[in-house]
Amino acid sequence: MSGGLLQGRVALVTGGSRGLGRAICRVLAREGAAIAFNYVKSEKQAQDAVRELRESGTRAWAFAASVLDKSAIDAMVRTVEQEAGPIDVLVNNAGVGQVVPLALMEESDWDRMMDTHVKGAFLVTQSVLRGMIRLKRGRILNVSSLAGVKMLQAPVHYCAAKAALKGLTEGLAKEIGRYGITVNCIAPGILEEGVSVNVPQANREEYLRHCALRRLGTLDEIAEVVAFLVSDRNGYMNGATVVVDGGV
Amino acid sequence: MGRSGSCCVADVADLSGGEHLFKRTTSVCPGCLRLLEVDVVIRAGKVYFRKSCPSCGLSEALVSEDARYYVRAYSFARAGTEPLHYSQQAEHGCPTDCGVCDEHEQHTCLPIIEVTDHCNLECPICIVNNQYSTHMSLEDFHSIIDGMVRREGTCESVALSGGEPTSHPQILELIRIAGRPEIGRVVVITNGLRLGRDRAFAEAIKKSGAYVALQLDGFTADAHEKIRGRDLVADKDAALGALKELKIPTQLVFVATRGANEHQIGKAVDLLLEEDHILSLNFQPAAFTGFGGGKYPGDPMDRLTIPGVIQRVEEQTGGRLKKSDFFPLPCSHPQCVSLTYLMRMEDTSYLPFARFVDFTRFGTLLRSSATLPANAEIHEALHDVIHDVFARQDEIERGPEVLAALRGLLLQMFPDRPLTAREQVRIGEGRAKSIFLHHYMDRHDFDLERLRKCCHHYPQADGRVMPACGFNMFHRGAAKGPDTAVAEFARRAPNGAGRSLRVVQGT
Repeated sequence: MSGGLLQGRVALVTGGSRGLGRAICRVLAREGAAIAFNYVKSEKQAQDAVRELRESGTRAWAFAASVLDKSAIDAMVRTVEQEAGPIDVLVNNAGVGQVVPLALMEESDWDRMMDTHVKGAFLVTQSVLRGMIRLKRGRILNVSSLAGVKMLQAPVHYCAAKAALKGLTEGLAKEIGRYGITVNCIAPGILEEGVSVNVPQANREEYLRHCALRRLGTLDEIAEVVAFLVSDRNGYMNGATVVVDGGV
Repeated sequence: MGRSGSCCVADVADLSGGEHLFKRTTSVCPGCLRLLEVDVVIRAGKVYFRKSCPSCGLSEALVSEDARYYVRAYSFARAGTEPLHYSQQAEHGCPTDCGVCDEHEQHTCLPIIEVTDHCNLECPICIVNNQYSTHMSLEDFHSIIDGMVRREGTCESVALSGGEPTSHPQILELIRIAGRPEIGRVVVITNGLRLGRDRAFAEAIKKSGAYVALQLDGFTADAHEKIRGRDLVADKDAALGALKELKIPTQLVFVATRGANEHQIGKAVDLLLEEDHILSLNFQPAAFTGFGGGKYPGDPMDRLTIPGVIQRVEEQTGGRLKKSDFFPLPCSHPQCVSLTYLMRMEDTSYLPFARFVDFTRFGTLLRSSATLPANAEIHEALHDVIHDVFARQDEIERGPEVLAALRGLLLQMFPDRPLTAREQVRIGEGRAKSIFLHHYMDRHDFDLERLRKCCHHYPQADGRVMPACGFNMFHRGAAKGPDTAVAEFARRAPNGAGRSLRVVQGT
């Protein structure tokens, strides 16, 4: 597509093989970006996603690499830079969901949740940041959740991890703003697909009672906002958390 | 000697044969000390002052052994910082109104307080004019320190000099008086004779918390004899031994002199890098002024200048240090001082900052300070450097190691607790060393624009603060040796007024 929001840009999306990540890849590609994403387990879905992107004329790459594997992440980033060029856009989307009350939460549950969301975002951001500082430009977007900014009925480790991403966003935005790199955060409400499918029915109904639009969001609705947030059109927003929840 | 054109910074790289007028400035006649407007000319890659005095005739003096360095240095010039208060009002102009007047272009970075005019050496290269008459009173010293704090607010360093300051009978009391919270470090500039001979005194210096700037101009008898008048090898070894044993923070001062010690420059650098307690090394290309220096048989057309010393550093350290590691100090006049900082790596070797810092972008780090202070300005600059190295680590010599060392430097300098003013100055010690080159001026290479930007000042008991080279040459006499009269333009009439300045225009 010519004249898109992200024409000529290179975007890296973590956890891009399925769910919200895949939708983000699809919309960023439609807006003209070359797309790279990583995945851990879902190889078949990753292959499908790459094929879909390439069939639409997008340069696309998929990497089997955990966001917690620093050397694999560094290798992925270097490969993308060599193959596609400097990375302009990073979307830290990779995450996991788990519904368990605190009383039953094991230490390993906590670590997995915090590591995947927070440490993963840190490692990937650190790796990508080198190139962005050299470029003196860049867009970093962290995918948080309404559960990270409002009091919701949600697992506490998930809430804590998503809230940490808001802190990461604000601290990093302050630290690297001098290089023309913006860092923002998006906090979606409950969506029809993606990790939201794990939300218990009672919680979903409670959410709908408080949502002004009286419906769940869609993956594409979030991805459309993401595309604008990481585009050059969004030049002055920095350190912000944008809530997209239908009005809760 | 024909002129073949004028030049500017942009085309200095193209200079080849002939002679080029670079600029004009104000200097003095080396014979009668009259102020003269002079030509600054570039010839065969070197820079000279060409002077024409109506009384004494034509003369020339070498100003820089490297025209490229000289011209490029001007690109580092930056505006000075005013002191909180001036001691004098400008009335008759520079250098008559010295004190400093409100036309002076820089505050005092390094106050050098001459606490005595007694000395236990009579050096052939001495740039002051000892009268062997006075030890400064505690009252006068107190007054000077109070004045410095009033004018400056805080001082990173205060140096006690002389004469030989350790000959002052109350030197330890002076150090105590200077050790107030507004002053980061007290430095005793000494020839080291007493330190090497008097163990109790050395221990007292250690206990006082003072730093020592040890005059060390070489390592052989002949070098000492030419510069200091006698063989001081054993004395210097004894002083160095005491400083090392007591771990007294030390700076080395090396007066680099053509034909005397220029071949021992590299060994001084080695010593700096080998010893943890030695924090900095200050090379001073010899200036031919003062009690000894004014008569020293140096050739003003064949002398060491800053780039010449840097060249020898590179040659004599096997390339561990390079010419490109040194940069002019922006806060003084860029022809006065050059420096490099060396960062201690995790393996205890040292790497010049210039290998990973682009000083044309991060000039904040070029400071008139032996070490990096832990202030907000340095904190900001270090963060910039860290991000820059982080982004370019694959292109930078020992990039990942540099990042590791920068992490150590940052964590040590900016711990998660408040720092006192003194801690801010001292906490970076051990992580970085420095090499400074400071070329004091004499009647041959005196440049009034350099004097106006001078930040090394001699505070006086009468409240004046005298820029070093102007004071050495004009205000206390001895520009041509001990019998030189005070320059006419530096005298003050009985009513306190100075004489009007008259600069002779060049022909």
